[in-house]
Amino acid sequence: MKLLFSAFLIVLMPFMVSADTDHSKFTQHYKESLFKITENGHFSVEMVLKEKVLQVGKNAINLILHDNKDRDVVGATLTVIPWMPDMGHGVSEQPVIEEKGGGLYKVKNVVISMSGRWELRITVARDATEDTTVFEFKDIKKGKGHHHAMSAPAAGDIDLSVTRLSHKKLFSVTYESLLDPLRINRIHSWKLTVKTADGQPVTGATVTVDGDMPEHGHGLPTQPEVTQEVGQGVYLVEGLKFSMPGWWVMDFHIQKNDQEDTVTFNIQPK
Amino acid sequence: MKRTVRQYLLHFFFILLPVMTYGTERAWSSDLHTWTVEEIGVLRSLSIDSLPPLPKDPTNKYADNKKAAILGNIFFTDSRFSGNLKVSCATCHPANRNFADNLPLAHGMGTTNRRTMPLIGVAYNTWFFWDGRKDSAWSQALGPFESPVEHGFTRTRCAQIIIDHYKDDYEALFGPLPVFSKRDLPALAKPAIDEPVSLKAWITMPPDVKDAVNRIYANMGKAIAAFMRTIIPAPSRFDHYVRAIVEKDQKSAIKILSSDEVKGLRLFIGKAQCLNCHTGPLFTNGDFHNISIPQPADLPADQGRADGIAKVLADEFNCLSVYSDAPRSDCGELRFIDTDTDKYAGAFKTPTLRNVAERAPYMHAGQFSTLHEVLEFYKNLPPGQRSPELGHFDLNDREMHQLESFLRTLSGPLIFASD
Ligand code: HEC
Ligand code: HEC
Repeated sequence: MKLLFSAFLIVLMPFMVSADTDHSKFTQHYKESLFKITENGHFSVEMVLKEKVLQVGKNAINLILHDNKDRDVVGATLTVIPWMPDMGHGVSEQPVIEEKGGGLYKVKNVVISMSGRWELRITVARDATEDTTVFEFKDIKKGKGHHHAMSAPAAGDIDLSVTRLSHKKLFSVTYESLLDPLRINRIHSWKLTVKTADGQPVTGATVTVDGDMPEHGHGLPTQPEVTQEVGQGVYLVEGLKFSMPGWWVMDFHIQKNDQEDTVTFNIQPK
Repeated sequence: MKRTVRQYLLHFFFILLPVMTYGTERAWSSDLHTWTVEEIGVLRSLSIDSLPPLPKDPTNKYADNKKAAILGNIFFTDSRFSGNLKVSCATCHPANRNFADNLPLAHGMGTTNRRTMPLIGVAYNTWFFWDGRKDSAWSQALGPFESPVEHGFTRTRCAQIIIDHYKDDYEALFGPLPVFSKRDLPALAKPAIDEPVSLKAWITMPPDVKDAVNRIYANMGKAIAAFMRTIIPAPSRFDHYVRAIVEKDQKSAIKILSSDEVKGLRLFIGKAQCLNCHTGPLFTNGDFHNISIPQPADLPADQGRADGIAKVLADEFNCLSVYSDAPRSDCGELRFIDTDTDKYAGAFKTPTLRNVAERAPYMHAGQFSTLHEVLEFYKNLPPGQRSPELGHFDLNDREMHQLESFLRTLSGPLIFASD
């Protein structure tokens, strides 16, 4: 009965905002997402991808997880398996999963090896709870190809702020690029000023750097590092380089005593 | 739900949707030679007029020394620096053929496992060789001399030839040559890990003699680098076309490139996604990619960049070595090198596409003999093997022909930079 009801839910999902099952309540937070509730009703999974379709080739998708009390699911272990039910096979390539905080998980390297009917089988495990759901894609096609170099989004579409709050709002972080304006293919440094949310400098923190190009699923051509603290709560990041024009996302993970958090900046080197 | 997640996803949509629809809407405008402001920006970025002045080479204080460049040119063509007195750099890098030899694999004293690279704008390189195992032009130049299949020579013999034949020129630039006794310079000696006899001869030399030989050898490389630095491309038909477009001189533009060539250009910067790697005025991002080129069966497996990373870090002549003139702060590329060997397994340096039509065969081991074969390869690559940057699918025969016609517009003379 419950199963039938979930099936019913899945069909209706795009048209409804929330639904009650027993004591659990799930909300679809993004109109644009594909929405599923796991088989035993433990989690909801929202999948966000370009035009709601996967393409033949490598895909990157975003998954947003909530539990049945509508809380963000953090620290879960995810497995994502692309599967071709008619052929009874998957692919040898493993998707790469990265937790972004706030219930968001980014899944890269989702390889679809040919056109046809595919499933993405997703298992979510957190603490002792494990649950599964399957997203079905009736007819995956070859992609159309897209421009990237000419597609610079209009100013205003993207938050290019140089000061941002970290995901859990623990830190307020400002970056200053010593290469201004930001250009591609030049190795350069940034100064990163880290403050607590109420404006006190955060000294002696351990800061690590990561960056990537979400549209392409590839990272930086270098491995930048924080090499020294050059002032009270001001950290020097050396070895930054961007190999393509376009939208890049830079993540700085900051750890001070038992406090840790990540801040994300969007940048658009030319 | 955290706000950051929401913002993150908003970006995902705002950015990707325009991206997805752009190519199809723009498609074929009635006037082939009318470009949008954004497109003109892209054309300019590829044009030779965007080539910045020669970048400084802090590792080589003789890089911009004219006398060093003249001496370097002489070293470049002197075949006495070889085991059989027949091989010079110019054997494989002849000036009249884009400094390349048009062979699938190069022939020196033996046959190499890779194809000769053209020397077009090498001063703009960050990494040298297909696998980037060198980080400066002068340290690069020291490799071929001691390679048994190239010059088949040793640094001790190089030093001897300089002492015997180039003493004055050398000393005028680099200061007095040390005085060696005959026993100081064993002809066989070089630090070659796979040639035990040579290695033993080298290892047993006194440290100060080894250092003195290395200095002469490094200076020799620095002179050759000063020469190679001056080799730069001159405008091709493509560049003349962009100039005309930028100057809004449509009448001239139409005469410079044919319709097929312009359609090919539109494919190159658009649907075929070549720009993801072949960017900038030299048509390369300077980075390494595995684009699944099959390795010829008769050659050993080649991990490309994945093996080059450790080699450049261990290189006795790299940016951080005592023979480099650069302060540590100028060695960012080496200090922050990406050491992810999985990412770079089988990856090779994106080659420049300037003069590409003039220098078949193609790829790191000369796998393809025509441009047509290269494009067929890009087209037929199975999806599982495509990196996300490779999007060259769905091209029909006509479009393949147009793309090839465009590549042929990138040919132009090579000149020597004058300052
Ligand atoms: C036997 C033929 C041969 C000889 C002789 C030779 N080269 Fe090369 N050259 C090659 C090959 C093959 C490669 C690519 C090798 C690789 O990636 O392992 C290359 C690569 C290069 C590159 C790298 C270009 C780039 O964009 O990274 C430079 C620079 C260069 N050679 C300069 C020289 C100089 C200087 C000499 C003389 C000291 C020389 N070569 C002698 C065959 C040769
Ligand atoms: C993912 C990055 C990437 C993209 C996208 C890409 N290339 Fe390449 N290209 C390379 C690399 C890397 C090589 C050398 C590979 C090797 O030898 O293993 C190469 C080699 C070539 C060569 C041979 C040049 C030579 O000197 O050997 C040609 C021609 C070429 N590409 C044209 C194109 C065209 C046209 C497109 C668009 C359809 C394109 N490439 C898209 C990375 C790329």
